[in-house]
Amino acid sequence: MTLPQFKFLMPTSLREACALLEKHQGKIKIKAGGTDMIVRLSHRAVKPDFLMTVKKIPDLDGINYSPKGGLTIGALALLREVETSPLVLEHAPMLARAARATATVQIRNMGTVMGNVCNASPSADNIPTLVAMNARIVAASGSDEREIPIDEFFLGPGRSALQANEIAVAIKVPTLAAGSGVSYQKISPRSKVDIAAVNIGALVTLDETGKCRAVRISMGAVGPTPLRATQAEEFLLGKEITDATLAEAGRLAAEDASPITDVRASREYRKLMVEVLTTRALKEAAGFASGQSSIAE
Amino acid sequence: MSTDHNFSVVGKSLPRSDARIKAVGAAQYADDIFLPGMLYGKLLRSPVAHALIKSIDTSAAEALPGVKCVITGQDIPKIKYGNWRLVPESQDEFALAIDKVRFIGDEVAAVAALDKDSAEEAIRLIKVEYEELPGAYSVEESLADNAPVIHDEYKQDIPNISLDRKIEYGNIDKAFAEADLILDDHFTVHAVSHAYMEPCSCVAEYDHDGRLTIWTSTQAPYFVQCLLASTMEMRENDIRVIKPFVGGGFGGKMEMRPWEFCAAFMARKIGRPVKFTLTREEELATGRRRHPMNIHSKIAFSKDGMILGKEFIVHLDGGAYNSMGPTACFLCGNFGAMLYNYPNYRYYGAHVYTNKPPAGAMRGFGAPQALFVAETQMNMAAEKLGLDPVDIRLMNAMESGDEIPGVATISSCGFKESLIKVAEMTNWREKRKNLKPGQGLGLGCYSFISGGVFNWFNTRYNFTRAEVRAFDDGTVHLMTMASDIGQGSDTVLRQILAEELGLKISDIRLTAADTAVTPQADLGTWGSRVTLMAGNAVRKAAQEIKEELFKMVSLKFDLNVIHDMRCGNGNIYPANRPDRAVSFGDAVKMAQRANRGEPIIGYGSYTPRNKGLVTPAFSFGAQVAECEVDQETGAIEVKFMTTAHDCGTPINPMSVEGQLEGSVHMGLGYALSEQFIMKEGKTLTTTFLDYKIPCAEDMPPGVSVHVDTYEPDGPFGAKEAGEGLVSPTAPAIADAVYNATGFRCMDLPLTPQRLLAGMKKI
Repeated sequence: MTLPQFKFLMPTSLREACALLEKHQGKIKIKAGGTDMIVRLSHRAVKPDFLMTVKKIPDLDGINYSPKGGLTIGALALLREVETSPLVLEHAPMLARAARATATVQIRNMGTVMGNVCNASPSADNIPTLVAMNARIVAASGSDEREIPIDEFFLGPGRSALQANEIAVAIKVPTLAAGSGVSYQKISPRSKVDIAAVNIGALVTLDETGKCRAVRISMGAVGPTPLRATQAEEFLLGKEITDATLAEAGRLAAEDASPITDVRASREYRKLMVEVLTTRALKEAAGFASGQSSIAE
Repeated sequence: MSTDHNFSVVGKSLPRSDARIKAVGAAQYADDIFLPGMLYGKLLRSPVAHALIKSIDTSAAEALPGVKCVITGQDIPKIKYGNWRLVPESQDEFALAIDKVRFIGDEVAAVAALDKDSAEEAIRLIKVEYEELPGAYSVEESLADNAPVIHDEYKQDIPNISLDRKIEYGNIDKAFAEADLILDDHFTVHAVSHAYMEPCSCVAEYDHDGRLTIWTSTQAPYFVQCLLASTMEMRENDIRVIKPFVGGGFGGKMEMRPWEFCAAFMARKIGRPVKFTLTREEELATGRRRHPMNIHSKIAFSKDGMILGKEFIVHLDGGAYNSMGPTACFLCGNFGAMLYNYPNYRYYGAHVYTNKPPAGAMRGFGAPQALFVAETQMNMAAEKLGLDPVDIRLMNAMESGDEIPGVATISSCGFKESLIKVAEMTNWREKRKNLKPGQGLGLGCYSFISGGVFNWFNTRYNFTRAEVRAFDDGTVHLMTMASDIGQGSDTVLRQILAEELGLKISDIRLTAADTAVTPQADLGTWGSRVTLMAGNAVRKAAQEIKEELFKMVSLKFDLNVIHDMRCGNGNIYPANRPDRAVSFGDAVKMAQRANRGEPIIGYGSYTPRNKGLVTPAFSFGAQVAECEVDQETGAIEVKFMTTAHDCGTPINPMSVEGQLEGSVHMGLGYALSEQFIMKEGKTLTTTFLDYKIPCAEDMPPGVSVHVDTYEPDGPFGAKEAGEGLVSPTAPAIADAVYNATGFRCMDLPLTPQRLLAGMKKI
């Protein structure tokens, strides 16, 4: 299948890129690794007049960490880089697990975490953990820069809160509070190397007495955008993590999920998987939070 | 390998002759061929499953700049084709639909343009007016009262059953009356894709002398030659089919297909070469596939575990055309009675038309379906009778000399040895007792054919033929129409020839699969026929050369007539006087002198005669799957696969091993994850994102061993390897899952969702 006709733009500065976005508003698509965009172009799922690569813009790559600012993942950081970054493995190992769960190593050497986020697919591997960890997306426009809380970033399948003149330049992941743990769980029709039928990201923060002080649960592929399991979160707050409370949280999460039946899974299967994976994710996250288990990725 | 056979080239894991060119990326496949002035072809396919074509307007497409040719069913000869030439009324396809379309993807029109973009755009500009008809999308719907008749011009006793087959021997009713245990079960098996790495592609050229040449990704150049000749109203000798490198076939490339016809027809019409290359989406949405089947199997046992008889009723969901369905329908009945002695057997198979992409030949050709059912029922019977699944099989297993009445005689048979071996290797009896919850061990077995005997293509030639030319520099040139499509036959045939002539593999040049150059004929690569059938032809051709050269050595040393002559190490010598050796090249030189310059050429043919109705030789094997099931998610992980099999002499053990690993991979996808999800005839899983082939990471570790047999009908004792092994994997995994969960899978694929539903969790 051939690519449709478009003009290819290759800005070498953020300023130039923003100016091009301004100029061709609505007629332009942004490409980083291209692992999603090129496929969508060849299938005519998108038909832009202009395709702009951001690969030549300096300073968009890189993964940084500071105790105060947390982890910053540049827009051009490859999935493979996030998967193997010592900083990520130390400060947010679940982001590395989610990156590794994405496609194959060849694709991870091309694709970016930011691309996976901006593509806004409900089943994206890298979104649930970022939601659980309450990340922020840094968006730049001509003169301005703003941070979008990830809870407000996804508007629908393929639709994000980025304005037509904005480029997402970095993901900021806050440093976790003491006593926190995160988990990423995924199920897909094939055992490995596959798109998620359901995926769950969970963050659990425990207080000194072992009660749940904070919890965030993100459910993927069970709604048009990543969904928060709000009932389960509210239920767990202030409670001890036991098999019974975990099971109930799983059940409540399944209630909040609104999956469809499609070629990848049935609605009923997805609901049950939300329950199973939420319970597992919370259990694992609580284990990390209490220091009883440590991650060996 | 039998110890009394001392081979020097056969039985060695020599690297493939095509390994280097493929590894460096220099192998030319059909799509790599670019001819001067070549145009790009594209097919317009029906978007509706069943409809009358009221009108086609191609004017806008023809007016598009760059478009050089547009054809529809109205432009082509009204000649139907199909591989079953023996039964002309079974030939039910036009290259482009005439008046009616029968599945989503049915080819309606074709264009040729200067570039791919213009060809695609032209396709979009063709306007077709359809009058939609009700469709039938399953065996049940097709056989229902008032079902739409899919081929109304083709007289059928039962509407939509294009062909059926009955087999019966013994007294099955008596067997059921006397049985202690009867299993009476319904199974459904699904369609899967060949998913060969190389999508179909061809380039056709028509020259000023009136000859058509087509380079095409095919398993059977001869079929393409014959069927192009009949549909193009040309003579076979005016058509040259060349098989370039082919990236796999698995049965999906053994027919003449519409793009081959359209490339040839348009090349002739406009005098420029035309190329077609299918997209993966076309392959998945419209391509041939393995037959889905509804199978009703009723099997009778005595209380001590002996099989008394079986009734096997199969409805094949054939899709919109016969394709290779008749063969699958026939073979399914044969495979239903393989592996064990069924003293009483009744088979009824019916090939049913539906408004879906046609199913065709695919690795196993009826065996994966029949053996999923047969092996599952053996496991069920073992449990019900309190027997070990290995023991119940050993009691009933076929052995050398057994006869399937009126069908075949089993020559070499290493089935029992395979069972015993696989049980030993897995520590089967102990391990089965010590399984943790969620762990399972399962057994599946297979038998397969080494090429078919039944001449449904109605060839007038021998089934295979080889020509060997010997040169005085000690080399030979092998010419054969046998088609290496990635399975390694070019290497294996060279090994066979080198062994026979006592040469090195590097002494052998090979030209293969060009209908204008290589000897007529060879039926192609399918049904695991090439090693045995082409191998036998190559040996015979070599033997003719040897006879000629033996005379020279005998003359030179004035040898007594009782001397046994040998070829070895590049020499020819009397068996007990190796000092009286003449080099192969010198012997050729002498023979050529003696023949006043005539080249030294040997010919060999092979056609199975007096080999029953099915095949000259059967392979056998047994496989154990070890699985772990996540009982909450239904995820099934295959931890290890152990295989013991009998392929006679493995000519190239490394190639055999590659085949076996490929079989496990394909069997794994068939068992667990691959499926065409369809809605009213429309295939929804049209990319590898949603059509779930196991990835490298999904492959379990495994080990396999050959059981030592020697097939008297095969070259150097060889028979089938690799195709049959696609069959045991699904029943072995399903049995392991049963042992892990208590859910007995009788409908493939065994997805996590189906498993959880079976465990009553959703």
